Amino acid sequence: MTQETKPEEAGTNPSRQAESASPKPASAQGGISRRTLCLGVGGAAVMLGLGGLKFVGTAPITRPPGGQDDDHLASACIRCQKCVEICPRHCITPAHGETGLLNLRTPTMDFHEDYCDWCREENGGEPLCVKVCPTQALKLPAGATEENTIIGKAVIDEDTCLAFRLTGCRFCYDACIEARGEDKKAIELDENNRPHVTADLCNGCGACESVCVSLQNGSISSGARERAIVIRPLETVEG
Amino acid sequence: MKSKKLRTLTALAVVLIITIGFFTTSGIGTLSAPGISDISILCPLGALTTMLASKLLVPRAVISLVIMVVLIIVFARAFCGWVCPVPLVQKLRTAFARNPKAKKAQDAETDSAAKAAPLTAEEKAALSTACSSDCDTSACSSCAKKRGQALDSRHFVLGGALLSTAIFGFPVFCLICPIGLTFGLIALVIALFTEGDVTWSLILVPVILAVELFVFRKWCHQLCPLSALMSLIAKLNRTFKPTIDDAKCLETSKGTTCGACGRACTEGIDPRHPQLSEADWSECTKCRDCVDACPTKAISMPLLAKKAAEGKTKAADFQ
Repeated sequence: MTQETKPEEAGTNPSRQAESASPKPASAQGGISRRTLCLGVGGAAVMLGLGGLKFVGTAPITRPPGGQDDDHLASACIRCQKCVEICPRHCITPAHGETGLLNLRTPTMDFHEDYCDWCREENGGEPLCVKVCPTQALKLPAGATEENTIIGKAVIDEDTCLAFRLTGCRFCYDACIEARGEDKKAIELDENNRPHVTADLCNGCGACESVCVSLQNGSISSGARERAIVIRPLETVEG
Repeated sequence: MKSKKLRTLTALAVVLIITIGFFTTSGIGTLSAPGISDISILCPLGALTTMLASKLLVPRAVISLVIMVVLIIVFARAFCGWVCPVPLVQKLRTAFARNPKAKKAQDAETDSAAKAAPLTAEEKAALSTACSSDCDTSACSSCAKKRGQALDSRHFVLGGALLSTAIFGFPVFCLICPIGLTFGLIALVIALFTEGDVTWSLILVPVILAVELFVFRKWCHQLCPLSALMSLIAKLNRTFKPTIDDAKCLETSKGTTCGACGRACTEGIDPRHPQLSEADWSECTKCRDCVDACPTKAISMPLLAKKAAEGKTKAADFQ
């Protein structure tokens, strides 16, 4: 293309000069202009490059019910924020870029206000986030129940937990019983009233995290940036 | 002016409704999947890429894709003109412009340049014969390369996005979609003020937006894959096309030169002289700027243009 156009531009024929100076060089040359081609190829290359982000590591994060197959969620989620909005307990939040660019604006759990009860009160036990997801990125496999869908596991930070300073705090223990029932509770108290998580019984509902008061009551002075009991993604706990 | 304000207001209203939606649990969603609760209509590109990436036929995505195609056939790219928040975001750039006076002067200059000398008789003759309605487009060199007729850079981006989605298995464009990121940024700011949620995303998202919309100022015309997809479908659009009443039009009734409608069109369509258009009719965003610009109010946008028999030229007939 360059070889074809150069002699034309250098030509002395006035009519040809006028043609190359016309405001529509693309139409005068009968093809895609170089500028358009560069922009288009550049844009397409950026698209392909962004696809490569898949191989840049992303940190595992907690997902709403139905999002436990992370590969499926990543492939189907169009980041429409519908689940974030619909959650009656404000438990879902768009993930930040810190956990990996690919996670940006995909749904993750946020238990600072309330916990996930699978919309038992609000929708009879069918999670609204799964119901509204327009792309089936959140989709419960057949036979999935609140018990066998593991959002994450509760992990206690013994350095910041108030109970480990023997204050007698047992908010998480009570919340777990209230959310899960006495027989399925995933937190036990030891002889000093310190909480311990029974990981096998924990489904990551977040009731414990939602009531933890360590941040309000002193731990922040010791550099804590999150509550003393936090739901961690399964991959982090097991790995 | 009227339509311009109205368009800004509708786009603002959309942003406002979605922002209010963030504070409720009604599930209005963003423009990626607007609707109420579990009824929503998906962004056509999102619907395409999510199915391409997950290799699943999602009934809701298929249904909303069909509805979207019908909507685009009826309204063409009206989404771009009336709903999309990107032009609003781009307005911020002029708000922050260093020298607004210089910009105004520049606008005035282009305006006066456009009001050039009247056409000579020769030029008029050329105009009337160059590309009449029965002209074979392949024979008309300038018609064949209008934006929207041949592939342009947007289609490369669209192709790249679809290809990348198919290869890597996730909706790649959604990651940087300026429409999604605009609402993402609103959500981030809300979270910052209501929950004290401080994150690098608060810098990352505006930077991506600024690169897309401020560095590449002609994002919508040159890069947006959504606009590419919609203009491809809008080739079937026959409704709401600007139609000129020849009895009122200065050029046909009085033989003077005007061309105000063509100058007003930000897409580069010239409703009076389609043979001079820089863009195909499929690029029309139904913005009504040409309707407003016409000094004799000769242009209307009827649902379906009446047959030319009544002395009206269906400008849309020129291809």
